[in-house]
Amino acid sequence: MLEFDGLHKSFGTVRVLDGVGFAVAPGSMFGFCGSNGAGKTTTMRIAMGLVRADAGEVRWQGRELDQDVRRRIGYMPEERGLYPKMKVGEQVAYFAKLHGLAPAAAAKAADEWIGRLGLADRRGDAVEKLSLGNQQRVQLAAALVSRPDVLILDEPFSGLDPIGVDSLAEALLGQAREGVPVVFSSHQLDLVERLCDSVGILARGRMVATGPVEELRRREAGRLLRVVVPDADPHWADALPGVRVVSEQAGDTLLELAPGSDDQDVLAAALRTGRVSHFAWRQPTLVELFREAVSATPEEVAA
Amino acid sequence: MTEPRTLSSAALVRLVAAREISTRIRDKSFIISSVVIILLIVGSIGFQVAINSGGAESRIGVVGDISSLRPALEAQGKAVAVDVTVVELDDDAAARSAVKDGDVDGALVDADTSSPRLVVQDSADGSLRAVVQGAVAQLSLSEQLARAGVSTLDVPEVAVSPLDPDSEQNGQRIVAAIIGVSLLYGLLILFGQFIAQGVVEEKSSRVVELLLATMRPWQLLAGKILGLGVLALGQMVVVIGVGVGGALAFDVVDVPGDIVGTAVSVVAWFVLGFAFYASIFAVAASLVSRQEDLGTVLMPTTLVLVVALVIGIQAAGDPGGTLATVTSYVPGLSPLVMPVRQAAGDVALWEIPLAVVLMLIATALIVRLGGRVYAGALLRTSGKTKLREALTAGRA
Repeated sequence: MLEFDGLHKSFGTVRVLDGVGFAVAPGSMFGFCGSNGAGKTTTMRIAMGLVRADAGEVRWQGRELDQDVRRRIGYMPEERGLYPKMKVGEQVAYFAKLHGLAPAAAAKAADEWIGRLGLADRRGDAVEKLSLGNQQRVQLAAALVSRPDVLILDEPFSGLDPIGVDSLAEALLGQAREGVPVVFSSHQLDLVERLCDSVGILARGRMVATGPVEELRRREAGRLLRVVVPDADPHWADALPGVRVVSEQAGDTLLELAPGSDDQDVLAAALRTGRVSHFAWRQPTLVELFREAVSATPEEVAA
Repeated sequence: MTEPRTLSSAALVRLVAAREISTRIRDKSFIISSVVIILLIVGSIGFQVAINSGGAESRIGVVGDISSLRPALEAQGKAVAVDVTVVELDDDAAARSAVKDGDVDGALVDADTSSPRLVVQDSADGSLRAVVQGAVAQLSLSEQLARAGVSTLDVPEVAVSPLDPDSEQNGQRIVAAIIGVSLLYGLLILFGQFIAQGVVEEKSSRVVELLLATMRPWQLLAGKILGLGVLALGQMVVVIGVGVGGALAFDVVDVPGDIVGTAVSVVAWFVLGFAFYASIFAVAASLVSRQEDLGTVLMPTTLVLVVALVIGIQAAGDPGGTLATVTSYVPGLSPLVMPVRQAAGDVALWEIPLAVVLMLIATALIVRLGGRVYAGALLRTSGKTKLREALTAGRA
């Protein structure tokens, strides 16, 4: 279990993190969402020992992260960083060695990952000669080459084309299947929704929602019911008790049910209008959850 | 695949150092600078040899038996610093034609008579006449003494007691020290630049964040300094080796032991100076994020080096002066001044350890304080970091 526990951090008078905590199980993918400046990068940098937390700690298997544990973490910083003039193969092997691989094993692992990420023929090129997308792959290879126990990736998908996104997603899912907990941050919520077992939404330094996507949906869904009644009068639902009409357009009606009201009563009312072509509780998308969660946070930024 | 192991600090430092060396050794500017320095050294030796070979040389022809005259002439030549070659000639006619053809500078005829003559083209220069006169006089003197029954001659040898002892050898040692100190200055600046560029490269390419996720700032700093230090020392040793080897091979110096001693002291001071300046350069460079900004932060240190070199060269002229004496203790200046004073032979035994210890203390302080600045500034990859900010960030 990778645990982030009660992280607090202020830069000067600006409070960046205010009790951030979540846990990632081995073999699961955790999507870390939040608006710009919410504190995602700071959280990850604290995990990597690049920023010191004012309070709180990050643990892996119950042990607080130190230099030795961190060496077993594959990390991809938000600001990509590679030696521009160093050759791809040597560079990846160098990072493998820094993570504790013996020279021969490092060279072998570097070759393997470079091949797996489709850069085999660029092995001898300086990194600066590669396209940005390919540099990103090298960066990923540098994070994965030491067969890390944990992956922490800051915005790994930004700047990739759809094919690059797919191959990176595939690589990450592969890691998770092997039992590695993967934490990554992203603005691409559809991607997070597709890939992640659980998500955490960070707003103004606080975790406003965290848990499996399904659970969040259930918890955050409220009671939104979508009913499509093509033949109905536009005001067919106005008089139903405990029901508020959120929107209505040519029979496509979105209803919010008050607690205790019965969806079967609504169905009966709908059937009375004629044909019912759709009747279902609506699943909010992650984007809606995100908007909901972020806007619900009280405006109390520390002065 | 073998399992990853935990790395000790030493192992990390070694990894960083190895990368520095292998990257730099393939770097064009390093290769070019190495070649240029070696060419300069070889060139200056060649120049010295050319100047020396222009020195006095004399071919003297002798008619008749030269077995006793040759050693006498050569000995006289040595006394007045003329390289004498003795040529045996058959008769007066041969002597005349040899002089006419310029084969010999002068020909001695009737050497075994009481009236020997020196045949020359137009006039005999002072040294030629002195050599021949001295040789003939010496021979005839010992002959006459032998005839008088004095066979063993007890001539008191004159001991030379100069008021300014070893001034010529000192001169050579000082010249060697100045060359060595200039070389030291050049390499310190060059490798200081290399270190600074490396630090900024890591910062501007943001790779430093990835590095610091696996190691501590001081390990990175130590690795860089060690790696480039080994390389710089290697280059220094090669250059000095070529220089000293060449100087000895071509007889540019009189006392080989002296120049070797000077070379050793320059190398030793280089090691001390490198640790000191490399740390300062690295720490200064960590304050900026772009290569363009390097000049401004390196300027003060570079100026100190220039001042040290100027004082060092000045010390050659006045090794006992107050300026040279005081600055030879000052950390940072001492590596460029003390070797010159040492070469001039004006240094008391206790002075060198004192300067070394002061230098070591200063380096330790710089590494400690600088390490904190370095750690604090490394992750601030935007713009210029103020020294004070970096210090407080490093402590936090």
